[in-house]
Amino acid sequence: MILIGENIHILSKAVSDAIKEKNTKYLQDLAVKQAEAGVDYIDLNIGPARKDPEIMLWIVESIQEVVNLPLSLDTTNPKAMEAGLSVCKIKPLINSASGKEESKLEMLPLAQKYNCDVIVSVLTDRGIPTDATSRAEAIMETVAYANELGIPNENIWVDPIMMPISVDQQQVVELIEFMQMLPEIAPGIKSSIGLSNLSNGTPHHLRAILNRIELIILQRYGLYSSIVDSFDHELVDLMKGRLPKIVDIIYKTMDDEIDLSSLSINELNIAKTVNVLMGKTLYSHSWLEI
Amino acid sequence: MKEFLESYKGEIKEVVLGKEGKSLIIGGENTLPFHTFEGKMPHLPVLALEVWDKEPENWPEHLLSNFSDVISSPLKWAKKCVDVFKADLVSLYLASTDSDEFDSTKVALMVKEIAESLPVPLTVQGIGDKDKDVIVLKEVAKVCAGESLLLGPVVKENYEEIGKAALEFGHSIIVQSPLDINLAKELNVKLSKFFPRDKIVIDPLSSALGYGLDYTFSIMERIKQVAVIHGDDLMKMPMIASIGRECWKTKEAKESKEQGVLWEAITGLTFTLAGSNLVVMNHPESLNLIRKLIK
Repeated sequence: MILIGENIHILSKAVSDAIKEKNTKYLQDLAVKQAEAGVDYIDLNIGPARKDPEIMLWIVESIQEVVNLPLSLDTTNPKAMEAGLSVCKIKPLINSASGKEESKLEMLPLAQKYNCDVIVSVLTDRGIPTDATSRAEAIMETVAYANELGIPNENIWVDPIMMPISVDQQQVVELIEFMQMLPEIAPGIKSSIGLSNLSNGTPHHLRAILNRIELIILQRYGLYSSIVDSFDHELVDLMKGRLPKIVDIIYKTMDDEIDLSSLSINELNIAKTVNVLMGKTLYSHSWLEI
Repeated sequence: MKEFLESYKGEIKEVVLGKEGKSLIIGGENTLPFHTFEGKMPHLPVLALEVWDKEPENWPEHLLSNFSDVISSPLKWAKKCVDVFKADLVSLYLASTDSDEFDSTKVALMVKEIAESLPVPLTVQGIGDKDKDVIVLKEVAKVCAGESLLLGPVVKENYEEIGKAALEFGHSIIVQSPLDINLAKELNVKLSKFFPRDKIVIDPLSSALGYGLDYTFSIMERIKQVAVIHGDDLMKMPMIASIGRECWKTKEAKESKEQGVLWEAITGLTFTLAGSNLVVMNHPESLNLIRKLIK
């Protein structure tokens, strides 16, 4: 799976300060560390950058000096996006466009103009779809529009929009179902997800286990990429195939082919988490204690 | 015919309210509400009338007039609910504790007197202030030891204290969460570590027709489905809908008697269809309407 490192993010105080002070060194170090951690893309979230869209140009050039990875340009501001795209050396990723009118008019054309990849979420002016079918409906409209602009399916990474499990468990299940529909409704299309929203609202110490296991589940259903915390080393190891035993337990639990009584506590926690993520057990913050 | 019917994994726990000789059982069904064609529903939902331990201030005349002869005596009021209005049980609302100075011992003794005098079980509900409810419900639990009351509401901030007192003195509890199925389960998980599951009644927080009834309905429906269809052990408790106070504060119910009675009856009936096993109401005529419909 393609991993997009999320750690250069405007919501981080240190990152926000570094951008404000044009502290190139800090951001470069952070990018290098992420590359060393094993991610495939470096996300550059600079916020809307209303005052100074050229920030994106500066940050892209600074990061390209020190890492040889493709970049994911993350801003809602089309001017900033274009400033960044114009200097990228490796085919970058636009993060992100959507089916909202504004995005269709200003963001999607950039993907065509620069022949780059683009994350397209299922969001439209009608809001976030609430089940698998309406996700499919929303994305079909937007993809058709993008195709007409000359963007091929191969350059589109669909973001089905992850919702917090503590708010609406059913949405997590619907997303899994949508992932299974995706190859049929849009052949050749790719996909990407903002993983950490899954565990928003879940007690902090339990977030990692939810995130990691969900990603393995989604990978099994064909998820192409995910935006992740580069420094969650276990997650990276898991996704790079270095922890096959854990994957095995996850798959077996998904297939109802596991004997719970034979498991260690850690393995049992994995199985319980799979059941919560697949909607087989009703979520509560104490799902591991039951 | 049989092959077309569903059979489910889960069975709702039976909770016994009231002490021997005058007890009532709620729950016990192994099917969805009123689906008696595909499973058993050994106990119909029971209907409680609510009694206040302080004269209500904002009740409309067409509600108040049912109790005007007994309004100053919670004991007489409670007896009238059973003797005249034929309520299955009585729910005592401790309105007097909605003040800075209340005497919890006095309140508890009053509860005891009512519990001992009634031929039916008693539910005791605090005002929903997490701190005051702890003080008064702990005292009630202790003073009324052996009466097998149903005490509540117990919430995430006070479940340990009230739960322990209820356990020590043999009462059941109403566990309340704010219209959120995940939090309802969470609280049951925590309580289950020390409190017996067959002494818990789930309160998903009720609302009145036109004021969020659909939210309550959805949550109740899902709780029952998760318990019966998916067999989730932590959700197999019966449910309570306390609707009287919610209904009678609406302007629609205050407007006229006919409208008020229907407002309350439709709200209560709807929740029995969603899976509520115990409904707490204020007007005897709405109670009768529901009774006729579910019999």
